[in-house]
Amino acid sequence: MKSFFWENLRIALTELWSHKTRSILTGTGIVIGIIAVSLMSTLINGVDGLFEDSMKFLGRGNLYVEKWPWFGDDDWWTLRNRPQIELDMADEIKERSEYALAVAADRMRTANLSYKELSAENIYIHGVTTNYPEVSTVDVEFGRFFTESEDRTGSQVVLLGSEVAKTLFPQGNPVDKMIFAGSKRFRVIGVLAEMGSFMGAFSNDTQVIIPLATFNKIFHGPWGRRSIIVKVPEHLIEDAKEELRGVLRVLRGLKPGEEDNFAINQQNAFRQSYQGIKLAIGGTGMIITALSLLVGGIGIANIMFVSVKERTREIGVRKALGATRSQIQGQFLIEAMLITASGGLVGLIISTLISMAISKFIFPASMSFGVAFMAIALSAGVGLFAGLAPARKGAKLDPIDALRYE
Amino acid sequence: MSLIQVKDLYKIYQMGNSEVRALDGVSLSIEQNEYVSIMGPSGSGKSTLMNLLGCLDTPTSGEFFMDGIDVATMDDDALAHIRNKKIGFVFQTFNLLPKSTSLRNVELPLIYNGEIKAADRREMAIGALTRVNLADRVSHKPNELSGGQRQRVAVARALVNNPAIILADEPTGNLDSKTGEEIMALFDELHKQGNTIILVTHEEHIAAHASRVVRLLDGKIAVDEPTQRGEK
Ligand SMILES: Nc1ncnc2c1ncn2[C@@H]1O[C@H](COP(=O)(O)OP(=O)(O)OP(=O)(O)O)[C@@H](O)[C@H]1O
Ligand SMILES: [Mg+2]
Repeated sequence: MKSFFWENLRIALTELWSHKTRSILTGTGIVIGIIAVSLMSTLINGVDGLFEDSMKFLGRGNLYVEKWPWFGDDDWWTLRNRPQIELDMADEIKERSEYALAVAADRMRTANLSYKELSAENIYIHGVTTNYPEVSTVDVEFGRFFTESEDRTGSQVVLLGSEVAKTLFPQGNPVDKMIFAGSKRFRVIGVLAEMGSFMGAFSNDTQVIIPLATFNKIFHGPWGRRSIIVKVPEHLIEDAKEELRGVLRVLRGLKPGEEDNFAINQQNAFRQSYQGIKLAIGGTGMIITALSLLVGGIGIANIMFVSVKERTREIGVRKALGATRSQIQGQFLIEAMLITASGGLVGLIISTLISMAISKFIFPASMSFGVAFMAIALSAGVGLFAGLAPARKGAKLDPIDALRYE
Repeated sequence: MSLIQVKDLYKIYQMGNSEVRALDGVSLSIEQNEYVSIMGPSGSGKSTLMNLLGCLDTPTSGEFFMDGIDVATMDDDALAHIRNKKIGFVFQTFNLLPKSTSLRNVELPLIYNGEIKAADRREMAIGALTRVNLADRVSHKPNELSGGQRQRVAVARALVNNPAIILADEPTGNLDSKTGEEIMALFDELHKQGNTIILVTHEEHIAAHASRVVRLLDGKIAVDEPTQRGEK
């Protein structure tokens, strides 16, 4: 049987070669389908990696007490009218919660920074408690974090994100230099290690950190985001969230039946909404793939019917010389699969090139072996499926009818 | 036991209300190494009979034994095997694959034989082409050959698998008389080497190469007699 395979492959190659244009046109649908499916899987893999990286900054075991929920469709006015989060609740929470490992507070707004003639605009300035490093992934690369007493006294000291440091101090050590935030002078006491960006969009390295008390002293008014960050054991996060909710309701003096007037956010919320986006991307990709493979498959079936018809006499001759049904069927099946598998291979090469370009210019994305294998198997499968009916038709021809066919 | 034994063979085509009796009860036996020509007016059923004997077609009814094996009831694939191993068919219109070289055309029966290695195939095909004097046309395609050369390729293809029977339906019908004689010389040669040969022709001088002539008329055997050569 093996020798027929090679024989049939040879026939198919000769046949496709003698109808080059037709073969290329026929395979195009498959090429597009395979590009769609392999790029889609590659993109999803890449975005997944990016997402996981970004999620690290939020900490799996962190609960964020804030005015606004990160996701959800609650009524905007109700949310807006909620009271601000009182950051001094942090100590109470630490006291009352069984689960809390650390509780830090974080206020944030934007400001323009400058050092001599250099400036950095719209920089996120965080006012945080001294224990902030315990609940976040910030790392001091040069210098030091601020101390308890610096926080208490509202010292004007600042730690720079790595990007900010690069902008304001292209060369030289920023530590102990004096910079301006708005009209206030701050002494730089440290530089944070590089952290990367969130989902490729917001850089975590363009922030600066000052003591919370200093923030409160300088920036009056209600604006800016406020969060209390509660670090709890990762595997107990759901229980901890329930407990925290109870603690907050007591602190806020809410009566039973009254709605929560605060939000407890967690990484999970991102995860869920990301899953939704991923499903949407994946679903669209699958639909495009399925459609182009279907259309491509129909085109191939059509061409194969034409090919069987054109080669009726050839089939007659082969049968007269002793070809069996399965040999004739194999000949046309291999021809169909050869078209689709080459289409798949071309599609794979193109999408590998595209994903190389994506990972060079946009974000890390690489074609996995599994995706490549699936693409080739899928395209060969389409060929098998599309070629079956025409191949059977050819195989069933009566030798004498086929020989007489004009 | 006869090589070919046919009894009450009918081939009836139903054309609307009327029926065409292409073969109307033919009984015939042909021995090993016989040289038979089949003659008769146009439409008398010669090709129909040849196609049945060549296992290309199946009869409406009747018995057909080849080498004692019942062929009439065989299925498609079993018939394909018989065609491949026992029969070499030469057509009036050559029926070569137009895109393939002489060598490839002659190799075809060996490929479908399934038991012959690629290297042996090539050698056997070149051997067959040499026997028909075409060793120097191995890589020509049919459209690069003359009519006589094409028919010689077809003869090489018919004999390459060493079949017991060679069937030829008007093998010289499309050739001039000189080229026709060349082809007939090949058949005579094959006959001498022990092959059984059955050929259809309209021309008496072609039929005279055989030792027996079967004349058909309206799907029936009218005459079945030895030729001059057969009587010798
Ligand atoms: N497929 C078919 N359908 C209907 N009738 C057919 C078919 N094939 C052959 N016939 C009829 O069967 C009869 C015998 O045909 P056949 O081809 O055997 O004649 P023949 O003796 O070979 O003639 P020729 O010398 O012209 O080749 C003819 O009357 C023909 O019309
Ligand atoms: Mg005829």
